[in-house]
Amino acid sequence: MSEGFLGTSAPLAPDVVLLLEVAMGVALLVGTWLARTKRFRPHAWCQSTIVLLNLVVVAVAMTPSFRAQVLASIPVKLSKSYYALATVHAAFGSIAELAALYILLAAGTRLLPEQLRITRYKAWMRSVVVLWWLVLFLGVATYVRWYVPNFRR
Amino acid sequence: MRRSVSVAVFITVEILVIAALSTGRQNAALAAQQKTEAAEVKIDNFSFGPATLTVSVGTTVTWTNRDDIPHTVTSADDPKAFKSKVLDTDEKFSFTFTQPGTYPYFCSIHPKMTAKVVVQ
Ligand code: HEM
Ligand SMILES: [Cu+2]
Repeated sequence: MSEGFLGTSAPLAPDVVLLLEVAMGVALLVGTWLARTKRFRPHAWCQSTIVLLNLVVVAVAMTPSFRAQVLASIPVKLSKSYYALATVHAAFGSIAELAALYILLAAGTRLLPEQLRITRYKAWMRSVVVLWWLVLFLGVATYVRWYVPNFRR
Repeated sequence: MRRSVSVAVFITVEILVIAALSTGRQNAALAAQQKTEAAEVKIDNFSFGPATLTVSVGTTVTWTNRDDIPHTVTSADDPKAFKSKVLDTDEKFSFTFTQPGTYPYFCSIHPKMTAKVVVQ
């Protein structure tokens, strides 16, 4: 396994994921600004790309890592921040990604039956952006706990 | 007659005691020879300590994870000379080195954590 490039103890993959996710988080805010300035088509493209790209990152990097490093330790070791942070992050992360996919289906396609379509788009979209950033912070916290040597001792 | 019997008994007992003592001593010496040496490596705050451990052939090295996050002990050789499972806090891994040589190893979760065992 090759070393990362951010100067922490992390291998390459978490460093790449960290940079990608921060970039996507910022892009999501750019997309929000596009909507506020009424550029709805670019807004739709921007946010859809992020949600789908994130789905790939979750599937390729985060889910395998979660299964390998965290899953077996639930619930016994949840008192340790190492496992607790990753678990809470993964739980809220799953909700955020699923909610985002739901908005994509509801707003961008006609695949959903009438009852499942959204009318209050703004409320849904704002909530997901807020939740997304919460998950991003939890992800960064997980990275710090997992890969940054502490100086307590 | 009586006296010669008691002398004989005394000598016999004496011989037995000496024999017993000496074999006991021999056993102790043998045990000391067979007892493999042991050495310790501590894992703490993302590092192995000591980073270079020098031991003699036959030594069993035990790694203990004193860190509050998981680590592994993974041989950097190909094929791997040894490989631990993921060690959580206070878990241990032991390996006995039977061949002289230099054994570099690392933590598979944190590839920058490297160290080596030198076996002489
Ligand atoms: C909105 C969705 C998400 C965002 C923005 C996000 C963001 C991040 C970030 C920035 C990191 C730190 C980089 C790293 O350590 O690799 C991370 C790590 C991690 N995330 Fe997520 N994540 C999301 C969803 C998920 C989901 C759904 C899961 C559950 C499977 C998950 C599980 C993990 C795990 C286990 C790690 C540690 C990975 C490792 O370092 O090996 N994340 N996440
Ligand atoms: Cu490690």
